[in-house]
Amino acid sequence: MKNLNIYLSKFFTLLLLSFVFVACDDDNEGEDVNIVTPPATYSFERNGASTVSFSGQTTRLNQSDELYAALNSSDVTVSALNLMFAGNGGSSAGFTNADLNGTTKIIRSKTSASTLRGSAATQALFDAWISEYVNDVVPNLGADATSGSAGIFGSYQFNSKGHEIDQLFFKGLIGAFTLDQIVNNYIHPNQLDTGTNVADNDNGVLSGTKNYTTMEHKWDEGFGYLYGHQGEVVADAGASPSGSGNLLMKYFKKVNDNYDTTIAQSTYDAFKMGRAAIVAKNYTVRDEQAAIIKQNLSKVIGQYAVHYLSGAVSKIGTATGDDRLGAFHGLSEGYGFVLSLQFTNDGTDQPYFTKDEVDTYLTQLSNFYTVDVSTLQAMHDEIKSRFGI
Amino acid sequence: MKKFLLLFIISFLFISCSKDDSTEIDIDPQAFDREALMRNLTDNIIIPAYENFDSKLSMLNSDLQSFNSNVSIENLEKLRQSFIESYKSWQYVEMFNIGKAEEIYYHLKINVYPVNIARVQNNMSSSSLDLDDCSSNKPNNCSAQGLPTVDFLLYGIAENDSGIVELFSAENSSYLSYLNLVVGKILSNTSLIINDWLDTKESFISSFQNNSSSSLNMLANDFVYYYEKGFRANKIGIPAGRFSVKLPQNVEAYYSQIFSKDYSLEALKAVENFFLGKSFGTEIDGTSFKDYIDYLDTEKTLSNLVLQSFENSFNKIQLLDNNFSLQVNTDNLKMLEAYDAIQQGVVYLKTDMLSLMSISVDYMDADGD
Repeated sequence: MKNLNIYLSKFFTLLLLSFVFVACDDDNEGEDVNIVTPPATYSFERNGASTVSFSGQTTRLNQSDELYAALNSSDVTVSALNLMFAGNGGSSAGFTNADLNGTTKIIRSKTSASTLRGSAATQALFDAWISEYVNDVVPNLGADATSGSAGIFGSYQFNSKGHEIDQLFFKGLIGAFTLDQIVNNYIHPNQLDTGTNVADNDNGVLSGTKNYTTMEHKWDEGFGYLYGHQGEVVADAGASPSGSGNLLMKYFKKVNDNYDTTIAQSTYDAFKMGRAAIVAKNYTVRDEQAAIIKQNLSKVIGQYAVHYLSGAVSKIGTATGDDRLGAFHGLSEGYGFVLSLQFTNDGTDQPYFTKDEVDTYLTQLSNFYTVDVSTLQAMHDEIKSRFGI
Repeated sequence: MKKFLLLFIISFLFISCSKDDSTEIDIDPQAFDREALMRNLTDNIIIPAYENFDSKLSMLNSDLQSFNSNVSIENLEKLRQSFIESYKSWQYVEMFNIGKAEEIYYHLKINVYPVNIARVQNNMSSSSLDLDDCSSNKPNNCSAQGLPTVDFLLYGIAENDSGIVELFSAENSSYLSYLNLVVGKILSNTSLIINDWLDTKESFISSFQNNSSSSLNMLANDFVYYYEKGFRANKIGIPAGRFSVKLPQNVEAYYSQIFSKDYSLEALKAVENFFLGKSFGTEIDGTSFKDYIDYLDTEKTLSNLVLQSFENSFNKIQLLDNNFSLQVNTDNLKMLEAYDAIQQGVVYLKTDMLSLMSISVDYMDADGD
């Protein structure tokens, strides 16, 4: 009898709760609820042919690999780097792989460029780093890096403040380029729903001579900024992302390996479900999946900003001046991830850190030889707390 | 019993509703007086702004006649003054690229910059010149007419004022005839637009439904498009290298040099006044987009953000040199910061305001993929 009473009391509590859940169903009154059934892998077809395309993203990601190598080269000019980063008169140029030249795909035009978070001032940092690397760092590659002058420390190349430019640049691009293009651009209604996209998708109107609707393609382009690296096996990328390249995918896999073993599958599933929702014309489900992607991918930035700041705090310890040099490679990566924080998206289209907050942090990080360890610790703690990691 | 309960619970969990993160709004957008909105914008802003532009152009034309009969430095200076007034008043109409203006590519004929000087010179010696040969598909003559070309002719054809006057006073000066041709074209095109507004305004005003072909939706889109493209990108972003390399020669009014900032400030003022529904040339507020979004968002959060972002943009533009070209060459970061301030307004107007009004964005982002 006692048992039955407990059951009954639990039963009524749950019954009550269930009614609460049922009550909010009113929100969907009048809407068509199209059931969304995701396929097993990110593979979608129409009339027997694939509708998935993100070749533009693959081109840009390939370009980024060559640019990364060039930013480590001692034999490079500002104009050569600018050519690779910004193209020439709207056309890509300067790459060894001829397929990457003469296209409209240019990394700089998608750097800090989204409507939601793009900042021209932040974009200009990347231009400035190119000239700084060539003009201030390369001429000193024979010298020891020391406080106040550029030089080398083992295989690393530092400017006069201890910054390793290619790390600032590329970890910055992870946020300003790949993440921003996905979470603040392609999977956002600004891209998905603009013009006649919704009506076209509803009515199966294809984009020009292509086999996809524009909305489908926009979503794929977002997908491509994460999974578009050459050699990525898209069908297996849920369980086994490649970690290819030097941008978001590389750290996305690291987070999955080291910190959150569910992130790869849940992100892949959300891309898949969201794409299936577009096919099913169910934009509520689409946007729910977009929110998952926004949060997951933003956490990659938060996690690795924390990772590198924590590494720097323990490596620096009580060291001062040149005794800190061993921490600067990692701290340079941290700098880029901190910069990237302004491009995060908490799922409601707000960043976890505003540009102003990030600018304050970057000012604090302006000289690695002198920055207080307590400053790094405070930054680390705040980022950890906002991301709940 | 236990199993039964478990099943019962589970079944209820599956019924759980889909997430809806928009707060339930009981406000009926249909109930807002959108006809009053359209009437205020049309009668008290659009048409008076065009009439004001037209009257400045008449003064320009009258000063041009004086200049024709007596080419002198003094008359050149007078002509320049009325030209600057015309260019300022243009800033209040450029956003209305709708109806007849859109049909005849009026905006492409009035304010495409930079000027194509080679084309201007080519046109001067052409016997079969047609300045109406300008459209989005055939743009070559667009950059050889309109206000930018007048800016070039009045300021840029020689090193100094006496050199300029010399070119205009030469016998059968092709510069003088081209100046007359271009100014005449601006006037006649503007008359076409004004007459069309007077003819069609009632049907324009009454098209206040929420659908993709209504005047209201198109006007809202044109307003936001202008803010994003004509104002943000053309005046600031392109010369500052936001989209490619720095292009200091691409500022508005490049040849007169010191007016690019004035024109930008006027343009922003025009945008703000339109948003607030201020009758042209007055401080009188009528029914406006601001009222409409305040009706839909009773907390007035969005309209405050929009107005703050305008204010912030004013402040950032104020920090710039009068000559944007010089600013780009000396301290471009200030240009980029002004761009960023203006960009914040794009988010509020395009992403938030249009979405709140349930108006679809009718233009695509330029996109390289």
